Amino acid sequence: MTQQAGEAMTPLVQNAASRPSAGTQRRRSRPQSRWWSVWLFLLPALLLFLYFKFIPMFQGIQMSFQRVRPFLGNEWIGWSNYIAVINDPRFHDAIIHTLILGFGQSIGAVIGGLVLALLLEGASKTLWFVRTAAFLPVVTATAVIGEVWRIIYFPAPNGFLNSMIGTVGLDPVRWLEDPGVALYSIMAVGIWQGAPYNMVIFLAGLAGVDRSLYEASAIDGAKLRHRLWYVTLPALRPAMTIVLVLAAVRSLRVFTDVWVLTGGGPAGATDVWMTRIYSLGFERNQMGIAAAGSILLLLASVALTALALLITRKRAEK
Amino acid sequence: MSKNPAQSRRSIWGGAALAAMLCSSTSIAQEALEVWSRSGPQAAETYKAVFEAFTEKTGIPVEYLATVEFETQLQARAAARDLPDVLIYDQASMAAYATAGMVLPIVPEDISGHDQLSEASWDSVRMADGAYYGVPFSQHAQITFIRSDWRKKLGFEVPQTHDELIALATAFATQDPDGSGVDADTYGMAVPGTTDRGFFTWWLSSYMMQRGGSFVEGADGKYAVTVNSPESVAAVEWIQNLFCGSPSLVQPGALTNASATPFFAENHAGIYQTGPYAFANFDRAPGKDKYEVVIAPAGPGGKTTLTERTSIYFGATSSMPEEQKALAEFLISPEAQTLGMTAPGQPVVRLPVNTTLDAAEIYGDERWTVVAEQLEDSELMPSDIDFTTARLDIAETFQAMFSQCTGDIQGSLDGLAGRIADELSMQDALQ
Repeated sequence: MTQQAGEAMTPLVQNAASRPSAGTQRRRSRPQSRWWSVWLFLLPALLLFLYFKFIPMFQGIQMSFQRVRPFLGNEWIGWSNYIAVINDPRFHDAIIHTLILGFGQSIGAVIGGLVLALLLEGASKTLWFVRTAAFLPVVTATAVIGEVWRIIYFPAPNGFLNSMIGTVGLDPVRWLEDPGVALYSIMAVGIWQGAPYNMVIFLAGLAGVDRSLYEASAIDGAKLRHRLWYVTLPALRPAMTIVLVLAAVRSLRVFTDVWVLTGGGPAGATDVWMTRIYSLGFERNQMGIAAAGSILLLLASVALTALALLITRKRAEK
Repeated sequence: MSKNPAQSRRSIWGGAALAAMLCSSTSIAQEALEVWSRSGPQAAETYKAVFEAFTEKTGIPVEYLATVEFETQLQARAAARDLPDVLIYDQASMAAYATAGMVLPIVPEDISGHDQLSEASWDSVRMADGAYYGVPFSQHAQITFIRSDWRKKLGFEVPQTHDELIALATAFATQDPDGSGVDADTYGMAVPGTTDRGFFTWWLSSYMMQRGGSFVEGADGKYAVTVNSPESVAAVEWIQNLFCGSPSLVQPGALTNASATPFFAENHAGIYQTGPYAFANFDRAPGKDKYEVVIAPAGPGGKTTLTERTSIYFGATSSMPEEQKALAEFLISPEAQTLGMTAPGQPVVRLPVNTTLDAAEIYGDERWTVVAEQLEDSELMPSDIDFTTARLDIAETFQAMFSQCTGDIQGSLDGLAGRIADELSMQDALQ
């Protein structure tokens, strides 16, 4: 939840930064102002960042080249940790699972969010209530969601979901226990939780669509699906970009859902990048290899973000 | 809009104070002995009572932390090179901490009262190189819990053999022992199949031994891998049938449940093999009169179960060696051992390591006689070598076999045996 809040903040910060004119005027009217007062205001945040983000990050990079033994002295071992990660078949599986999960969840949550937004757009009081209800999964702690879904997915024939599909004659499914199904069960929970967040962004986008375009197209005889395809979707393109970039970056770091629902099991069928790192670091005490895995994750996130920004900027230039 | 100088001064001081706060380390002189245990809230109450008695007796204050996220929090403190002074934790982790240099070696003869502990107790805290790294604190064996009300209702005797155990579990799963009118809402056995900390391996080891199989065999720091021997393969086939047979005899979700305890407590499963620490929970639900505790039913390999031990370790960064020793000496004394069994909460000393005490007499509860009897026929997992990686690998491999059901058991076990052998030879512990 905090991550999402953090990501949502970014556009605001950029907005503030892109309005320099007001600041320059004020500075001219106050020549006695000192240059370092700006830094003074930034100092508390910078110190917190330094202490809780940058120093740990550099230590992480350092650890990724070491055999970590705090009490016997760390030992420099060059690229061995990275080689161990790259050659570990369990890590390959974890990366494939992360990609499947990320891709499925992102696409699912975008489609789900779009459908919800189209259904729930409007100003009526009841819609406001339904929208709030739909948004609840986003503000609920993932650990709680995990427990609720564990009950829904209870694998006995009298489990919640199994008794529902039983009414239409389907056999009970071992949702989180069957290695072939578990990953998709987690994906469904992720979509359920992520779609309402996207809905809010799409709702904001929909509010900006010029009403007259709808009317004009209706007069020209466009059917509902034509209006969606030629008016609504093009108007939502900026919102779509934001949603996809956020989803893609977030999906690499998926952890809590998986950890609470299956702990990476059964038989490693739902092991993702982060659960693998956690297991290596905290269960097997191989901090160096875990650090190398984390740094690779960082690089992948940075690369993905850069790629997304590049695409966005190219499109904006057009 | 001009800035008030007083305000700006205040912000400078504010910033400086914040900077000082962030940069200051814990250089204040230590006053209390910091003690950690891996415990839930109930056991923590008992530990608190024990430490209060210690402070009263010696005047040494104790700062106590009970956590179930023990490993994670300890890793963080290890990275900061500032460990708790005393750790009270599973015997299974001693070797990992000792080889990492996190806990200090101990000379048993220096601990007063060491002669009141059995040879077997001291053997359990000895590493492969002959050095001792812990002081024994508590011991017990896993025992079998059975819903006696269900058993009597369905007309079964207490199971003495594995065949009778299977018959009872099958009846629990199929004959509606709770009288709810629904057959499929009760299950035979509650199984903690989670791979978290390799927990599944502990549960499995008892049944492996009872079927005549084993993971590794040996002693004194040298082990041979036996997990793929014909006896072990046969044992695994039998255990897999509990999960994959028809009807399945374990609770649904056994392999991903974080805990199996609720299934026994909430009237879903009728048989549960676990430690006596569960008494406190199960006396509340399903209720003290509704379950019984028995010696493990015998398989072809006997009725051996897993020994579990808790020991006291000295953190390597401590500046209070005298106080560490004083606490250990107190904790193995008859007074503290008795308090650990009887103080309100949950017994943290399950069976005393101090041989001058009689547990059954102190508890006044014959269930503890069963635990003591089972302890005589129980085995510790290797703890003089770092078995952590092997334990996790065993848990994961068995989970994979039992979740797929169709797996090639011999092939999986051969693969596992190879990996355990690699791990052991890395530690120079392969026979």
